[in-house]
Amino acid sequence: MATMTKKDIGGFLARQGILVAFALFIIGFTIANPKFLTPDNILSVVRSSAILGVMALGVTFVVISGNLDLSVGSMMSFSTIVVLDLHDTLGPTMAIPAMFAMTLALGALIGFLVGYLKLNSLIVTLGMLSAIHGLTLTYSGGKNMDIDDKSGTWLSVFGQGQIAGIPVPILIFLALAALLGIVLAKTPFGRKVYAVGGNGVAATFSGIRRARTVFLCYLMSAACVATAGLIQASRSMGSQNTVGQGMELEVLAAVILGGASLLGGSGTIFKTVIGVLILGFIQNGLLLMGLQFYAQFVVTWVIIILAVWLDIAAKRGRLWSPIA
Amino acid sequence: MKLRTVMSASVAAAALTVAGAASAETMRIGITQNNVGVDSYQTTYEQAFIAAAEANPDVEVVVLDAGGDVARQIAQMEDLIQQDVDAIIIWPTNGEAVIPAVRKASQADIPVIVTNSNIAEQGFDFVASFSGPDNITQGARSAEIMCDRFKELGIEDEAQIVQISGQPGYTTAIERAQGFEERLPEVCPNVTLVETQPGDWNREKSQQVMEAFLVKYDDIDGVYAGDDNMGVGALNAANAAGRTEGITFVGATNFAVGYEAMERGEYWGSIYQSPVDDAEAALQTAIDVLSGEDVPFLNYFDTPKITQDNMTEFTKPVF
Repeated sequence: MATMTKKDIGGFLARQGILVAFALFIIGFTIANPKFLTPDNILSVVRSSAILGVMALGVTFVVISGNLDLSVGSMMSFSTIVVLDLHDTLGPTMAIPAMFAMTLALGALIGFLVGYLKLNSLIVTLGMLSAIHGLTLTYSGGKNMDIDDKSGTWLSVFGQGQIAGIPVPILIFLALAALLGIVLAKTPFGRKVYAVGGNGVAATFSGIRRARTVFLCYLMSAACVATAGLIQASRSMGSQNTVGQGMELEVLAAVILGGASLLGGSGTIFKTVIGVLILGFIQNGLLLMGLQFYAQFVVTWVIIILAVWLDIAAKRGRLWSPIA
Repeated sequence: MKLRTVMSASVAAAALTVAGAASAETMRIGITQNNVGVDSYQTTYEQAFIAAAEANPDVEVVVLDAGGDVARQIAQMEDLIQQDVDAIIIWPTNGEAVIPAVRKASQADIPVIVTNSNIAEQGFDFVASFSGPDNITQGARSAEIMCDRFKELGIEDEAQIVQISGQPGYTTAIERAQGFEERLPEVCPNVTLVETQPGDWNREKSQQVMEAFLVKYDDIDGVYAGDDNMGVGALNAANAAGRTEGITFVGATNFAVGYEAMERGEYWGSIYQSPVDDAEAALQTAIDVLSGEDVPFLNYFDTPKITQDNMTEFTKPVF
């Protein structure tokens, strides 16, 4: 191994540029504050990231299929508010499936508009971002939604429970990541998603029903959002109507940071998970450093750009590449 | 003019609620609100405002909502000027951007009353009065609640606290933090505020911030949050870490969740700010201005301290 050549290293960097960037940040933050790398802190960051992460898993499918989903933040607020409200009227056993059904219906609507009516996904989901927010506010009348009996319900298990010392949100995130990772990489459906996003015309000629594939991607995204909403509701047992506001961009940032192309056709679940963790650890790391918070917005942006640049530069094999 | 009023009112019918009966001496007061429905405070405010107007036979109100959109609020200001209302109440969506519209109203000799959150200082010349809570005093009172509690516990000489503030850049967030940070060293000079981070008025964000604080600091005796929503987020984090015992939580704007946490004995105190008082004060200020009474420029309504000790004197907030 001592004879690992420059080329081997270059090849590794090209494949895993984002992992190298991730490792660099971890080392940097640990030097700044040794408490960064304690098990308690790592568990708390991953648990906080789990909600964003679960949403990012679904959006990964949508992005690889060559579309966007900007509605996931509003949709998460919707799921959270609905499950909290139904909990006190129907009880948790009925509230959870009812909430999933309602959220999936929203996903199906988006999938129908983008897949079968061939409307631009940016426009459709940007519209749904405010439409679903309005729907949530209409549903709740603008009021904060809280569970009456916070200690007497098993709903808390999804957000606050632990199995063998590991918080349940992390387990849900990892289990879903493993499942969806297999679906994307190893099943015919997964290959269709890549084909539709990579070269739509070729996909059609290969007999792939593109509309149905896109429709299913949005349905998966909605299912992930509903899961995220469930974790969110369970974690705080109460919520504002704006709980998911702005998360659509964080989710998209995580997916892109993981290396998925906005043009579709590339990306993996594993890299999305890394993208999610990078975002989570940056936020936490800057907090632990005690950086003045106005500066945090700037530093977060700088780190994201740095990570994307390292990743791209590694793929291209050079740092300097002007548009030509 | 009458017809035009009716027409423009019906054009905007979806957003409008007209209450009260027209008569010769009726005061016509228009209000453009920030974002009704985004939270329970603003929802309750609107209901209370309409109720107060309906209860007063001399007042007719035109109720508009900007939906958080500055451009829409400016358009609504122009609509109200066109309708030639007697006074305009504005809950600014943005303290800077609405100033030109406020100036326009003032030039049309329509007195403008700012409600809840004030506009920026360069617009003060065009404002008849500001009716709302005094955020600096609220912050100062939170500091006093915190300090008094530390004295009861006998830790006023060594306590360490953290602050979770509202959304960066918002006047309410800045003023509460300022009031708190200025008052604390006056009443409890030996208490250290070790760190401040924003929770963006968001319970989940606040919970994450508190989790990081709990990792970073082994000793936290008090948490000051810019509102109870964030305070409860911090409390959730402390509960999850098993460190609630021994931490004094103080917030502002007492929410129902904060009130309940106080009942459970987990949350120490807050500032009681009623949206009903807020709405009624705004309407009354407008009426007083129109009646030619001497109204102070900063017309604050009182927001008292609430703690576990005196909470039975207050009804549980509806939001």
